[in-house]
Amino acid sequence: MSQVILDPRVAPPFPKAALPVLRNPQLRKNVAHATDVIQAKRARLVAEKTDWQELRTAAASIKDEALANLDGYLQQFEERCVAAGGVVHWAWDAAEARRIIIDILREEQASDVIKIKTMTSGEIELNPALAAAGIEAIETDLAELILQLGQDEPSHIVVPALHVSRSQVREIFARKMGLENLSDDPQTLAAAARTFLRKKFLSVPTAISGANFLVAETGSVAVVESEGNGRMCLTLPRTLITLAGIEKVIPRFKDLEVMLQILARSATGERMNPYTSVWSGVAPGDGPQKFHVVLLDNGRSAILGKHTERQTLRCIRCAACLNTCPVYRQTGGHAYGSVYGGPIGAILTPQLQRLEHAQSLPYASSLCGACYEVCPVKINIPEILIELRAQVVNKERKKVARFADPMYLGMRAANWFFTDSRRFRFAQKWARIGLRLFTGKDGWIHSLPSLGAKWTMTRDLRGLPQQTFREWWAEQPKEGR
Amino acid sequence: MSTLLSSRTLILDRLRTATTEATPQEPPKSLRQYLRSGNLSAVERTQLMAERLREYDAEVLECEPQHQLDAIADRLRASKRLRFVVPPGLTSSWLLAGFDWKVDNGLAHDAIEQCDGVVTEAFAGVADSGTIVLHHSATEGRRVISLLPDFHLCVLRASQIVATLPEYFDLCTRIPPIATYISGPSATADIEMTRIKGVHGPRFLNVILVHDEAITNTAIAQGRSR
Repeated sequence: MSQVILDPRVAPPFPKAALPVLRNPQLRKNVAHATDVIQAKRARLVAEKTDWQELRTAAASIKDEALANLDGYLQQFEERCVAAGGVVHWAWDAAEARRIIIDILREEQASDVIKIKTMTSGEIELNPALAAAGIEAIETDLAELILQLGQDEPSHIVVPALHVSRSQVREIFARKMGLENLSDDPQTLAAAARTFLRKKFLSVPTAISGANFLVAETGSVAVVESEGNGRMCLTLPRTLITLAGIEKVIPRFKDLEVMLQILARSATGERMNPYTSVWSGVAPGDGPQKFHVVLLDNGRSAILGKHTERQTLRCIRCAACLNTCPVYRQTGGHAYGSVYGGPIGAILTPQLQRLEHAQSLPYASSLCGACYEVCPVKINIPEILIELRAQVVNKERKKVARFADPMYLGMRAANWFFTDSRRFRFAQKWARIGLRLFTGKDGWIHSLPSLGAKWTMTRDLRGLPQQTFREWWAEQPKEGR
Repeated sequence: MSTLLSSRTLILDRLRTATTEATPQEPPKSLRQYLRSGNLSAVERTQLMAERLREYDAEVLECEPQHQLDAIADRLRASKRLRFVVPPGLTSSWLLAGFDWKVDNGLAHDAIEQCDGVVTEAFAGVADSGTIVLHHSATEGRRVISLLPDFHLCVLRASQIVATLPEYFDLCTRIPPIATYISGPSATADIEMTRIKGVHGPRFLNVILVHDEAITNTAIAQGRSR
């Protein structure tokens, strides 16, 4: 697993990265099982909500309203958060966010820091930077702990270790926690994590969290979780740092009544997640007495300026699109070469990074539309995928190297044949004769040589019929027509 | 600090340009056609709350107002625990003899960690999702006391239960500076999607539902006008 690379700048293209997973039956079984379970629970709980479509519409419109006036709402958030005792920092890119966080931790003389699961921290590759600064990051979410101790990478936005089986977890915990006689019963494994982390919660004075929502009206942050590790990190330390993408802001406290109804149902198939924490700045005598928020741009303002792509910023990271995606369900998350996998990753990564670092991702989809259907904030992912594909093609169109690309040459040739009926008939005739050699008795082509093998390697091709419709029509008696 | 200021200016400038360029003429409005309130009677609401809590593996004991103390005693004894932490504003008659009570007037984390359980009230309950709402008042306690002990006994009155989440937000005429929404005991499904009760938060959530429905409607009306 050590060869998994989740940095879009150096990760291999999607089709190449997907191959090891497709050849690993255990991994595929784990991914299929997990996504099946979440999907079934989600479907049941969405069905019981008679106003589900109205909630989706409301959620999308709340996010659109926030995005249309993002600078105003962010300033309002800043003002209210500062008034409540918080400190607000602005980070243009990942490097600046890392620097701000490390500076705060140095000022606190921190040698270690406890962390709640935050995708944004993965996006800015915070943990390696902390290690380089001599600060030990301790992941406290069970799945993140499994990955950290196993030196693995997340493969899902909500359940990051869904590709790891219980026996693998047992092996990792036994080795890293020094518990030789540990069983692989999930309850026992969770209890081991509880004991392992309890000491850290009570002794480490600094914590890092992400944010599910920033409330402009009150300067509050909302964090949604299940295990209670979040509440520990938000309550026990002296100093708390929250890292949040600028798109997390919603206008009003009351907007949570919509967001909290759709998030847990979409993410884990629960009516509500066990714990939701909401706080503004510093509460005297209760929880951390120093509170910092780092607002991260890192490519988001550029997405905001694009008409079709702006809706990407509505995303609340529920991962419903991953669980339903026929491509993700086969490949898992590592193939996407970024902490954001699945359909949302396929549109988010190429936009957050420069397109050429992730230009295979817009093609990592069958455009079936299942992701759009389940998205609780109605992001039209297929529409954005097509837009990004167009951008990839427009870039390639300008390259001289295209004349050496078989795909380009094939398309040019097809163009020449398809625009003239005589040339088309000629091609049909010779293709029929040429392919006869490869067509099996069942009428299917199972294997083609050279370039054609790229197709038949993963799927069969229907052989060409021995008669075209035009030929058949010409044979019919005139009066029968 | 000057670099921080310039990033702030840079981001806000970019956002202003982006929103003026790509925002449609008609500014988006929040479309709120979803259900605000349920049509359940007070009794049905309490029943639903109990049902949803039990689905989360919380233990629920229902009682009439005059039997509230007996119910608390029953739950405390059944827990087989001795040392309990309580918020400073909790009714003193609840601190029954035979148990070791620690009143949280700024107890250290280690002292709270040594307690076997915690007893609190709540701000509200949301029946639809089986959610207990804490605003951390003097009867609900600081966040830490309902977090570290492994056993949480929460006393919730039927008059505090609303049917839907939007109804709870309607109750918040004053927005709480801190709030915690609890839906069942701590849980995870991170290992092979098997739901495991209790990772870091209290593994045992006990709720006493006090049937004071008779005053429910007036109480909610008062709550709204507050």
